[in-house]
Amino acid sequence: MRKTFIVLVLMYGVIFGSLFYWQLCGDLHNHPANPRYYAMFKTDRGVIFDRSGIPLATSMEDGEVYTRRYAATSLSHVLGYFHQRYGMTGLERLYHEDLSMGRSMITTLDLGLQKTAEDAMQGKTGAIVVVRPATGEILALVSSPMVDGNVLDDNWPDYLVDKRSPFMNRVTHGLYPPGSVVKPIVYAAALQDGLVDDKQVWQDDGVLILQNRTISNSGGRAHGRITTDEALALSSNVVFAQLAIALGDRLLDAYELFGLGHEIRFELQSLGGFVPAKVASDYDAAQLGIGQGSILVTPLQMALVASSIANGGEMMQPYVVQELRGGLKMRQITRPRVAGQVMPSSIARDLQEAMVLAAREGTAQSRVSGGVSYGGKTGTAQTGHGGDHAWFIGFAPAESPTVAVAVLVEQGGSGSEVAVPIGVTVLREALGIDE
Amino acid sequence: MIKTLYRTWLEFTGWLLCLVWWLFWLQGQVSWWEPCVLWVMFMVLYFLTRQLGFDAGAIPFVAVLLLIGWVFLARLNPTWATAQTWGALVGCVGYVLGLWIGRRQPAYPLAWAVSALGLVVITTLFGISVGGARAWITLFGQRFQPVELARIFLIIYLAQYFVGGRSKWELAIVLGGFFVCLAWQRDLGPALLVFFVFCWMSLHWKFTWTKLFAYLGVTAAGFFVAYQWFPHLRTRAIAWLWPWDYLDSKGYQVLQGLFALRSGGIAGQGLGGGLVHVIPNVHTDYLFAVIGEELGILGTFSLLVVYLSLAFWALRLVHSIQDRCLRMTGLGLTLLLHLQVFLVVGGILRLVPFTGMTLPFVSYGSTSLVAQLTMLGMVTGLGGRKGGSLDA
Repeated sequence: MRKTFIVLVLMYGVIFGSLFYWQLCGDLHNHPANPRYYAMFKTDRGVIFDRSGIPLATSMEDGEVYTRRYAATSLSHVLGYFHQRYGMTGLERLYHEDLSMGRSMITTLDLGLQKTAEDAMQGKTGAIVVVRPATGEILALVSSPMVDGNVLDDNWPDYLVDKRSPFMNRVTHGLYPPGSVVKPIVYAAALQDGLVDDKQVWQDDGVLILQNRTISNSGGRAHGRITTDEALALSSNVVFAQLAIALGDRLLDAYELFGLGHEIRFELQSLGGFVPAKVASDYDAAQLGIGQGSILVTPLQMALVASSIANGGEMMQPYVVQELRGGLKMRQITRPRVAGQVMPSSIARDLQEAMVLAAREGTAQSRVSGGVSYGGKTGTAQTGHGGDHAWFIGFAPAESPTVAVAVLVEQGGSGSEVAVPIGVTVLREALGIDE
Repeated sequence: MIKTLYRTWLEFTGWLLCLVWWLFWLQGQVSWWEPCVLWVMFMVLYFLTRQLGFDAGAIPFVAVLLLIGWVFLARLNPTWATAQTWGALVGCVGYVLGLWIGRRQPAYPLAWAVSALGLVVITTLFGISVGGARAWITLFGQRFQPVELARIFLIIYLAQYFVGGRSKWELAIVLGGFFVCLAWQRDLGPALLVFFVFCWMSLHWKFTWTKLFAYLGVTAAGFFVAYQWFPHLRTRAIAWLWPWDYLDSKGYQVLQGLFALRSGGIAGQGLGGGLVHVIPNVHTDYLFAVIGEELGILGTFSLLVVYLSLAFWALRLVHSIQDRCLRMTGLGLTLLLHLQVFLVVGGILRLVPFTGMTLPFVSYGSTSLVAQLTMLGMVTGLGGRKGGSLDA
């Protein structure tokens, strides 16, 4: 009997071994004969809603299969797309398991704002991201040019050859020199180090000479005697280059503290950009202090900088998935999370005042403001190849801000001319959104 | 004794509650009384077996197997689960009968052989065809598979053949007749199973290498002949060896089973999470693949461990039997069950050609369930009563 049992154990062992092989090894999931791969296109899929319950992505029955319909073209860079031939991306892919179980997803996006932002881009290449400072909710996220998840079949060949790479999400993956939009960080670091106070008066001659090289203001304008707040409002390179030189390596610490050079914790994968480890020279420091040189950032990072200024120095972790519900699993709700206190609230208050001044009298003034009180900072980043990138970061309303925005237009020209009107349009629309 | 009972049944009740709760979570229309009836049934069998002085150690294992099978059948189609419940209740009678028969096998080997042959001959003559094999008899409006009982009778005959030293010609006629009838019915799974059990019993009785190689040779020759003569067996062989070349036809069932298993992975898709209805004959042939998909390798491993525990229990019991004939019977019945598990699971895993039998206690099939429970009763009965003489 013992031998019989041993042989039986061996036989079961052989079965265990082959079970191990067939259940855990090998790539059978995507085999063309495996109906599981196609099954997900033949079943209903959870709806993705915006913050007020308007459907953003729905599955429409179309004969045997369901096709996914999206409420706005620009959503393809947040929600992604879900297509029988082209697979899935974005939140559709990240939350595929939940969505395929029929669970619905409520996002922090606002469809109206998303469409406003999409229209405001007017087909330009660039990115807009709107954040709620107090929570980190992403209210809108637009990257242009876009991929239309509704008509992938028709447009796919065009997308593939489009030189402006429509598949790229510029909010999270676009790396740009920030230009003057980093000046608030320089200002914050200088205030914190006690190098400067907001009423201090500077002499700005329009040009700063550093070891045979020059840092000059935009257009070489000399602003004369100005306070530091005015220097920010007028975007004086001369003043901020001097602050950056005084800060030295501490400038880079401040950039890192504000999240530059690090990948941001976010549902969607994002790039961290680049901040050098050391300042090589005074000229290098001066360049970095005005957002030029080797520094590279993503629009999402700059939106969080604006957001943390608006939120009294507290940077919130950005998120776009508010809630998952339905199906057999428990309801899953995202709670706002603090990423860190990047500066004392008093300094944040000073920065807000300076940025409001910029919006009222400085470079961030808008021709289309339409009664919106806001604070902002522009940037016109030189690229070394072709036109300048136009930047705007801002918040509204001026007193106790509830929304923050970052706008980037690739090679769009001047930040004041190009990015500010877009940013203000978006801020105005965003103020209408309930908390 | 009360303490052991208490523990065993507490565990088992926990299992049951988990399973039933899980099932309700999925589909509200499941009739809740069926698992309760099964539970009470096993409880009664357990108490009865113990009160009569038999070894009741197998009941919890079988109960777990049957309930897992029941849950999966309910998940596939509640009608099948209901039929399974009735099968189990009839099987209960079979079990008690088995207990009673156990040590009272009349010493008329030919009577068993003739009954076995009779059953298969009747099936061959009057049987109806379901799913390719003409293995079914309709009696009083109920369909059943006589071969499930016939092979038990045959095992009893075989045990007495070895011990009683009966003539080889007689054996050749009995086995030959059995195989021819089954071949005629195109139901070669049970034939293969009985042949393997016969080989194993024969080697157990007296082991020689010559015999082993002879049996291996016969098996190989049998495959070759079957491949040449029976087109539907050729289909099975092709599905076994080259399923990837026949994705949509001959290899379809095998591949769908493998896809299901792979989809299960470690912890499975969860009950109800599998894409199971794409597998043909999923409730009889491929329930194991469904378990693999929905409970993952953890589920399939656990299930096989339960079978292995059952084998350990049975062989230990059989080992303690003094009477050589009863011992051979016990061995034969145990092997009948476990070789069937091997052929079924091995068929799904492409270790052996797929034979289309049921997974004992788990798969849908009332006749099979009744036969398996009867066999269980017989093995328990063979083990004898505590306090009584082992050679009663």
